[in-house]
Amino acid sequence: MAEPLSLPLLSSAAEVRRRERNRRLIGLALVAPAMLLVVAFLYYPVTFIVQMSFTLGSSYLSPQGPEYSTANYDAMFSRYLPNVLVTLQLAGLSTIVNLFFGFPFAYILVRKVRYRDLVRAFMVFPMFGALYIAFGMRFILLPGGPATPLFQALGIPSTAVLYSLPSVVFAMSVFTFPFMVMNIGAALSNVDPTLEEAAACLGARPWQTFRRILLPLTRSGVIAGILMVFGWNIGTFAEPILLGSMNEQRALAWTLYQRGVVQTDYGLSSAMSVVLLVIAFAVSYFSLRYSRGALVQ
Amino acid sequence: MTAGEMSAPPAPAARAPGAQERARRVTSRRLVDLLGHAYIWFVLIVFVLPFLTLLAYSFTGPGGTYAIQNFQYVLGSFGENLWWSFRVAGLTLVINLLVALPAAYAIVRYPFPGKRLLFSALTLPLYVPGAVIGISLVLVYNFTYHLTTSVWGLVLAMAVGTFPLMLTPIVVALKDLPIVFEEAAACLGATRWQTFWRIVFPLIGPGVSAGLMLSFIIVFNEYLVTLFVHPPEITTAPLRVFNLVRTAGLAPTTAALAVTMQLISFGAVLLFFRVFGTRYLKGTYLI
Repeated sequence: MAEPLSLPLLSSAAEVRRRERNRRLIGLALVAPAMLLVVAFLYYPVTFIVQMSFTLGSSYLSPQGPEYSTANYDAMFSRYLPNVLVTLQLAGLSTIVNLFFGFPFAYILVRKVRYRDLVRAFMVFPMFGALYIAFGMRFILLPGGPATPLFQALGIPSTAVLYSLPSVVFAMSVFTFPFMVMNIGAALSNVDPTLEEAAACLGARPWQTFRRILLPLTRSGVIAGILMVFGWNIGTFAEPILLGSMNEQRALAWTLYQRGVVQTDYGLSSAMSVVLLVIAFAVSYFSLRYSRGALVQ
Repeated sequence: MTAGEMSAPPAPAARAPGAQERARRVTSRRLVDLLGHAYIWFVLIVFVLPFLTLLAYSFTGPGGTYAIQNFQYVLGSFGENLWWSFRVAGLTLVINLLVALPAAYAIVRYPFPGKRLLFSALTLPLYVPGAVIGISLVLVYNFTYHLTTSVWGLVLAMAVGTFPLMLTPIVVALKDLPIVFEEAAACLGATRWQTFWRIVFPLIGPGVSAGLMLSFIIVFNEYLVTLFVHPPEITTAPLRVFNLVRTAGLAPTTAALAVTMQLISFGAVLLFFRVFGTRYLKGTYLI
């Protein structure tokens, strides 16, 4: 090993301090464009809609100046409470589906599968967007689509399946499945397989090994996966419109588009986004604590 | 990862089992393995099923015949949308790169207070629902920035949502790069600028490419934020798909456009896998 790099120019303590300060300034200067981007196009707009959410309708534009009131939030907790609940229900159900199918998938992928690159190539398809998944499923399920003979054999009308909660949850689950598998798989690949063998040698049944060994060791990955999937599915948009019944179409993201852009009720629409934001921020806070923090010391 | 790839040695049994017992165990283990692989393939087929059915449908002509004409629409009447998608994606990638590269370098190599908080603040856009980004930007564009008719409004909206995807792989690549190369370059008299462009940038190239690939496939297929902030005369291809599916029913031509978009994105992913493999996607979406 070579000697640590010595800098002959550094003579005095003041010089060292000056250099330290310079490095700090350069660092801040390098981050400045990124900060500018997120502040101008995320944080400022977010404070703007928080302010907007306390104004009535589109009164922000009126010449008399905006009318401030909390009526939008009153509406959120009375008239639009079902919308909030449906959104949470959809995100929650698809998270449960993902956890149930994702854990075994991640386990088999990490422990047994050697053609992992092939699996990764397949797994990028959901990443292209929920829109294509919802479009494809709608085509499959529509009357006259590929699934029609199956429905006829079972004797159920295909629209009963097409416009229903399960089809929306299914599409959302497909969209976010890779997130769950990624988080659990990363945690699982850090678990030494000999631990499972040791458990088996000591007479543990598979369920016990899972419950007492695997689950505690992969807990952070599982939690990160749950939060990530939930956070992404909170903003579900295309799936409820293309696959849902009237009930699922009340999902918040779609409602706020309708109220805000189509009916120009900016106040109410902003209040809905603030509710979504609060949920998303809470989720991301915990998610960062469990997964991403590792990247920066 | 490598530890997981090794096949587990058979667990030594407490008492030596009979040959029959051993054979039974081997068979049942094989059955479990087989079921595992079947499960993986079942899920993967479910993943590509929407794509495959749309692919089959996009070749359907009038009256259920085979037809290639649908893809002529993709270049014909949808050509403009496709072209806009490419342009918006290209501009967004340039902005993402210009913003994420210095930020990642500073985060890994320079000391400054509140770094962890800053990284969280920069990656937070990933967690904000697209509809919220959309509505907040459309209001701000209308009332404050007056950006509603320019393509830059759309591009910057895409950039803020996707540059964390660019930032993370570059941060990971820089962390994996030992600092000795930069120190050696500095000792040999290179300036900071030279060190970065001639030493660091080529060495983190795969990480940068991973960021480019990830943000390309997301921006290229983005319809939600676009729906909110797109200028009236600009309709990108995914937005066109969304509008057509919502209003005009399911035409084979729409399927052809959706299939084309997915094939282009898949091509980008395959190209990346082919050139760099998958290890540079560490810390991002794809393990």
